[in-house]
Amino acid sequence: MIGSKRKGLGVVTTAAIATSALLISAIPAHAEVGVSSSEIKLGITLPLTGPASPGYSKIAPAMKAYFAYVNANGGVNGRKITLVIKDDQYIPQQAINLTNELILKDKVMAMVGALGTANNLAVASKVQIASRGVPSLFVNTGYSGFADKKKFPTTFSLFPSYVMEAKAIATYVKENLPTAKTCVLLQNDDFGADAAAGFKTGGLTFTETIKYVSGTQSSATGQTWVGKFAAAKCEVVVLFGVGSANAIALGVAAAGGYKPQWILGSVGSDVTTIKITLNNPQATALMNGAIGVSWAPDSSDLTDEYVKQFREINTTYNAGAVFDNNVMVGMNEGLLVVQALRAAGSNPTRKSLIAAIEKKGSTFATAGYSTLAYSATSHVGQTGFWFGKYNLAGELKSVDGKYTMYTTDSAAGPVVKAEQKRLPMPAKGLPSNS
Amino acid sequence: MKNLMSTKNKVIAFLASTSLVTMTMVALPSAAHAADPSCTNLVVITQCVGATSDGAPYVVQVPAKFTGTLFLFSHGYRHFVDIPVGIPLVGGYVITNTPQPAPGRTVAEITQVATSMLGKGYAVAGSGFARQGWNVDSGLKTNVELIAIIKKQFPKVTKVVAWGESLGGFITQALAEKYPTLVDAAAPLCMAAGSVEAALTMAGDALWGLKTFFDPTIVGSNYAAGAAGYAQAMGDIVKVLTVAGTLQAAISANPSAPAWPATSTVPASLKAIPSRSALVLVGVMSGVPTQSAHFDNSTGPGDPTSSAAAASAYVSYAAAISPALGTLENITAAAILGVMATYDVELQSGGTVFDNTKTDYAARLGSDLYTYGSALSGLDAASGMLAYLSPLNPAAPRVVGNPTAIAKMRALMSHTGKINVPTITLAAVADNATPAGHVQWLADRAAEQLTASRAAAKAAFLAGGTYVKPASKLMSIWQKTPTKYSKYTAAGSPDTTPAGANGTGHCNTTPAQNLAIADLAYAAANTGQLVVGGKLLTTLRKAGGLSYDPGFQASLLKFYNKG
Repeated sequence: MIGSKRKGLGVVTTAAIATSALLISAIPAHAEVGVSSSEIKLGITLPLTGPASPGYSKIAPAMKAYFAYVNANGGVNGRKITLVIKDDQYIPQQAINLTNELILKDKVMAMVGALGTANNLAVASKVQIASRGVPSLFVNTGYSGFADKKKFPTTFSLFPSYVMEAKAIATYVKENLPTAKTCVLLQNDDFGADAAAGFKTGGLTFTETIKYVSGTQSSATGQTWVGKFAAAKCEVVVLFGVGSANAIALGVAAAGGYKPQWILGSVGSDVTTIKITLNNPQATALMNGAIGVSWAPDSSDLTDEYVKQFREINTTYNAGAVFDNNVMVGMNEGLLVVQALRAAGSNPTRKSLIAAIEKKGSTFATAGYSTLAYSATSHVGQTGFWFGKYNLAGELKSVDGKYTMYTTDSAAGPVVKAEQKRLPMPAKGLPSNS
Repeated sequence: MKNLMSTKNKVIAFLASTSLVTMTMVALPSAAHAADPSCTNLVVITQCVGATSDGAPYVVQVPAKFTGTLFLFSHGYRHFVDIPVGIPLVGGYVITNTPQPAPGRTVAEITQVATSMLGKGYAVAGSGFARQGWNVDSGLKTNVELIAIIKKQFPKVTKVVAWGESLGGFITQALAEKYPTLVDAAAPLCMAAGSVEAALTMAGDALWGLKTFFDPTIVGSNYAAGAAGYAQAMGDIVKVLTVAGTLQAAISANPSAPAWPATSTVPASLKAIPSRSALVLVGVMSGVPTQSAHFDNSTGPGDPTSSAAAASAYVSYAAAISPALGTLENITAAAILGVMATYDVELQSGGTVFDNTKTDYAARLGSDLYTYGSALSGLDAASGMLAYLSPLNPAAPRVVGNPTAIAKMRALMSHTGKINVPTITLAAVADNATPAGHVQWLADRAAEQLTASRAAAKAAFLAGGTYVKPASKLMSIWQKTPTKYSKYTAAGSPDTTPAGANGTGHCNTTPAQNLAIADLAYAAANTGQLVVGGKLLTTLRKAGGLSYDPGFQASLLKFYNKG
């Protein structure tokens, strides 16, 4: 009797499974938005024009150039990558409109490298990329909040956060300039607030803190800042603004003969931006001797295998654009995107793309000198910085020659010094590891 | 700025004077019983007029070639008191209950929509309702009775589509929720949804913000009884318009750092912040859109590619000043409607119905703090302004509601959000009176129901039954704004002469858009299914300016944003 009951249950179960299978097979195979048999379409918003565009405008073309190189070498599982680039002029409201366009009209599979903290926050809130299931990969911002997987489940950070950077700078200053009167320039928004939180956690206090509203930086405001720094007798000034703000501060100070020990944050130390802002090809001389902080090699480091490979691609596929840190960032993001797409399987979907980064992202090759922290519970990318000094040409050179990394988290964790560690550049810059 | 109520006045004036076939005035009945309608055969249509037992006049028009489907229209909010001629924008309004059988911004548009619908074989009908102002309970009763009257007079009516604009959209949803057997499909247009409290909170927050920052003599709530309260409400409209005019002049004179109105009593330290930033704060914390009829909140004057200086000026204007101008253009209309609706509901409820003693305006701001960082003049400025609005600041007293009045307000008809019949909403993403968050609230309820239906269907299947795939009964059609639409004169001044952009203003729909919704509702009523796929997209494309985007989610009203 027991056997027959089991048999009966088996029949019911088999029937139910068969019916379920029928239901499932009746549903047509889902073709993912932005993915066809021959193409994967991706989108990016960033400033191509406007005051924030110098420097940043080079990121998307560099990424596109890297994709062109990959496409010329067979693409990703036979599919070519198309990158649709939209100019948001660094205005959050425009980023909202243009991201909507990319998703609804251009029908991209994913956003890649969208730039700006406020812009990404605005897009997350108003375009609801998370509830739409649209991945936003390797955003060009160090805002620590994007590592909150619960709040931004489809967003992946790449840069170490501004909190991490501020904590690293705090540690460096306390170790190397412990008695100096230290001051800081911050942007009066989420970018600056993130940094301020990091400095506080890192235990660095400032004699003078100046905050500026994004978009108000000018020669006149620069005079005010520098005047305040000088009046406060600041011996060390951390410029944690965007490139145009930092450039103005450097220019005004040089003109007035004010020479503190500058420390330039990673966001605002782009050579191209500083030259264009000051309309002076020799403006890099103003950076000479300044302490700098970076998570990746300097684009001038010809001994670095990533730099060498990206430079080669740049020459052929990016119309020989001047190779700088922004070009390197764009290409590095392209390298990560290709690895993620490969890891997402032969028929990638938005869901499989996100799952792939969570599962395999920590094994992706990156130019950064710290390993990637992606996991099922973490959307954090790089986690550390090295310190160097700028020379007359605006090149950042390691202070210890070893690229000692100051690694930490965006919370209250300690700053730990470690040797730089990373995976080798894939052969010919073409990933086969994912 | 376009004035909704003056448009309606024109409609009413038209209705009162025209002999056009689609409209006829109705004499108010003296008895409390509905008389039989008075019908006239006009060859191509039969027109009936009459009044329901509550005295609400109505009009019904049935074409000779009748499909059997009746469209019952509910008009939007009409002021419940006369407004003196001297008051700008809305002065000269005279209370009326003239019936309106179809949606439209002008008399010509209403006639065009009604005539087109009759030509398609749809019958149209609408009541003027027994009372004006917030009249959901009364309007619902009227509509229920009217459907019975029409069905008795026209036995060929086999399907009923309920539709309505703004407050009429609220009545439409209420009708479909409470009396699902009376309607076969519903189409709330530019609707208010949820509750009167949700709708009034936006007005209350905006009025309180304007009062606190710019003119403490604005009353805003707790209007006095009788003639004194009426005078306060009328005075508030004038004061709000004066504040808006002063701010507009200040921004024109000095867009970067406009002065504060002389009526403002905020301390000098706060006045160091541009007044436009305080205006934007009031707007975003209340939920007033920053995109308006003429300001897209993201572009500026000039050619940003001409020089570095031009680029800098353009971006600064786009990020910081355009949102202020958009807020200004929107908040005026929202505040006028807010004054009148607050005054109205207070009278109905017997006391102050707005209460912000526990409102966390920083939470209300939410991510808008970052989106509009430049417009707010940075985090520190925003923090300073929010600190001034703190409940701990005696200079910014909060409004204390009357618990009995609030309870009475909450007893007014609210929505449950249940979608009983195929329902098609039409809403603008930047509606300044009933923001898109109203529809989003309804869409969220529909999504919850769909999830529950799916779970039930799965359970039924696993229990051995047949699997029936549940489908959503709600479809949200959106009027989306163009990416860029601000216009500037050669001198770089804002040009507000073009027609308002698609997706902005209140009930700023074209006849083609309204007719497209009517066609979709007709199909839904007759098939029990929402139109999907190519037919849907073709209908929307032909109408222009409409989009169906199941992934789109508007921000909820700030009322729901508890932080």
